[in-house]
This record gives sequence, C-alpha cells and structure tokens, in this order.
Amino acid sequence: MDEMLQAFLLFWIPVSMVPLGLWHSQSSAASFSSLRGRSLAFFGIILICLSPWTVPSSPSSAAGHLLGAIIGPCTMLIFGIYLISFSGNVPVGKLPRSDRRIGVLMAIVGFVWLAGMHWWILTPQLSLNVVNPYWYVFWPTFLLLISCLASCSAVTLLMIGDQRKSESNTMFIVSGLSFSLLLLGLYIDGPLVSGEEFRQHLWLAVADLAGIAVGSLLSILIFALVIYGYERNLAEPQSISPPTDSELKQVSKLIATHIGGEQE
Amino acid sequence: MLLAFFLPPLLILAIEMTLSGDFKDIDSGVSFTRFANATLTAYTLCSLFLLGNLFFYGESRNRPLAPLVGMVVATALGVLATVLFIGQGSMLLENNGSVRAQAIYNIVHMFVSSGAILMAVSVGVGVTFSAITSQKPRSNFVLEEE
Repeated sequence: MDEMLQAFLLFWIPVSMVPLGLWHSQSSAASFSSLRGRSLAFFGIILICLSPWTVPSSPSSAAGHLLGAIIGPCTMLIFGIYLISFSGNVPVGKLPRSDRRIGVLMAIVGFVWLAGMHWWILTPQLSLNVVNPYWYVFWPTFLLLISCLASCSAVTLLMIGDQRKSESNTMFIVSGLSFSLLLLGLYIDGPLVSGEEFRQHLWLAVADLAGIAVGSLLSILIFALVIYGYERNLAEPQSISPPTDSELKQVSKLIATHIGGEQE
Repeated sequence: MLLAFFLPPLLILAIEMTLSGDFKDIDSGVSFTRFANATLTAYTLCSLFLLGNLFFYGESRNRPLAPLVGMVVATALGVLATVLFIGQGSMLLENNGSVRAQAIYNIVHMFVSSGAILMAVSVGVGVTFSAITSQKPRSNFVLEEE
C-alpha cells in the first residue's frame, strides 16, 4: 500500500475519530448513542497508540508513540487529582474519605513517572537511544505552563479569595516544584536528554505557547468581527403598537395584586 | 495576576542571564520560525473549530449563509497564508523538505502542544480545586451575640 494512503487510513482517520466520537457522545442525549461516541473515541485513541507499529514509515506516528508513553502517567495524575478533590468538602458527588489516600498516591506516582521520563530510564524512545522528538515538545510546555498557572492561581487566591492563604501557599509550592524541575532540566543532564537540548526546547516551548496564544486570539477576534458584522446588518425588528389605556390599567391592576406583603 | 503568570519564564530568563551571561544555546531564528508556524497553525485550526460552532449558532437563526461564508473565507485565508509563507523557502521550514511535510508536522506538533496545554490546565485547575476542597467547611453566617 502507498505510504501516504497507509498514513491516512491508519493515523489520520483514527485522529479524526477522537473529536468526532467526543462530539457525538456529548451532542446526543440517548445513552446508546453516547456510548457509541465514546467507543469511537476510545477506538481512535487505541489506533493512534498502535500507529508506530501500523504505520512505522510515517514521521507523524511518533506522536502516537508519545501518546502511548504518557497516557498511563497522565491518567494516573488526573484521576488522582479527581479523587483528592471529590473526597474533600464538596456539596455534591462526595467520595469516601479513604479515596483521598489513593488519590494522593496516584497523583504522586503519575508525576514521578513523568519526571522519570526525563531523569531516569523511562524516556520515550523511538529506537535505542533515539528520544521521541515530540517528548521535547510535551515536557517543557507542560512544566512551564503548570508553573505559570499555579503561580497565577496562587496570587489570584490571595487577591480575590477570602482567607485563602493556605490554599495560596499550596499553589505556590506546586509552582515552585515545577519551576525547580525546569531549572533541574536546564542544569542537570538526564540519561538521554542533556541540559543544552532541554534549554533549546524550553525556549521553543515559550515561542510555541506565544504563537498559539496569538493565533487563537486572532481567530477569535475575526470570529467576533464576522458575528458583529452579520448582526449589525440585520434589519430592525418590526415594532409593535404601544399599549392602550385599558391594557395599561389591566397591567397595573395585576401588578398591584402581586406586590407588597403582609404588614408586620 | 498577569505578572504572576509571566513570573516563571521571566525568572528563568533572569537566572540564565546571571549564570550564563549570554544566550549561546538559543537560536532566535529557530524560535521565530516556531512562533510563526504555531501562530499560523493555531489560527487555522481555531478558525476551523469556530466555523463548526458557527454552523450550530446558525441553527437558531434559520442558518444564515453570510457569517458562514465569512468564516470559511477567514479559514481559507489561514490555509493560504500557511502554504504561501512555508513555500517562501527556508524561512518557515523546520527540518522538513516540502510544504506538505511542514504543514503536516505543524498539525501534529499542534496536537502535542495542545495535549500538553490541556494537561497543564487540568492539573492547575484540579490542584487549585483540591486545595480549596481540602479545607474544613466554613460557615457563611456570623452568629450575633445577644
């Protein structure tokens, strides 16, 4: 089979199955339809993860390889945070208190697993000693953005929140932890990723984030302009005649019966 | 709050300047290429996503054609600009031999970056939420002394 066609069938169609499946599961109220959408998305993710074996000739399959490598720790991290959050003081959907310990353990293992991909033997490799190029995109972007968001969240809790000092301190610790990992990455070499490589990719991640922000904002601005232009050119809605005296009297009578209350 | 968001990269910049004195490992040309590619790809993909939203927005308004055409033109402009700028030569080519290879690389790169952004936002919001719910419940009422 032609390489392009193979990549189209075994990589790009599974990639499109994920948003289509998610959209289908969210847009339909019927449980069977929702299940079908989720199954489509799940099957798409499995096929993407298998792409390094199904389409080894396509360079894009390295993204599928990375997805397969990080899906475990990322799921543990997110699910751990979910367990911690909902085993706390929440008014609805409260989980048992024992789930908190499992959540903390899962979040720590997930994060250590991700960190082990930089400083230990767990680095995603396409072949022996060849690091997956997309790992260099994912890891600095993830660490840098967590540090920025946690720092912003900490200051927001202090400025807007009411007596949220301890929560703010927790966020400062998270920001400091990810910032320390960034600094460690810059100055301490991992078994396969050197500090110099990490430095280059960190600044590329900054450029990437800035580019994504500018591009997305530009597109949202144009979207708003298109909507504004359309709404402005719409014809004025047809006016109706003002209420007559009898209608006004009836309305004031109705209002008078519904306002006021019992005298205390 | 905005300063707090930009504090970590600014701190890294300050530490790098203090310890290294120069930016010998940073190639500004490569960074600019990445910025331009990310801008063009984010604009095109985000426009495509918003075009889908516009289609559903029109459902409640007898599906007018004018905004849909406007957004299709905006998306097509993004695609054209991407192809045109990448086709100019080595300016926007990142270790890729052709316009098609670079365009596909940009899309895959955007998926990975978006995944990292989504993960970071989930962790950031999740940790904030768990920090708030970990505290003891507060009473919203102050008891008045008689």
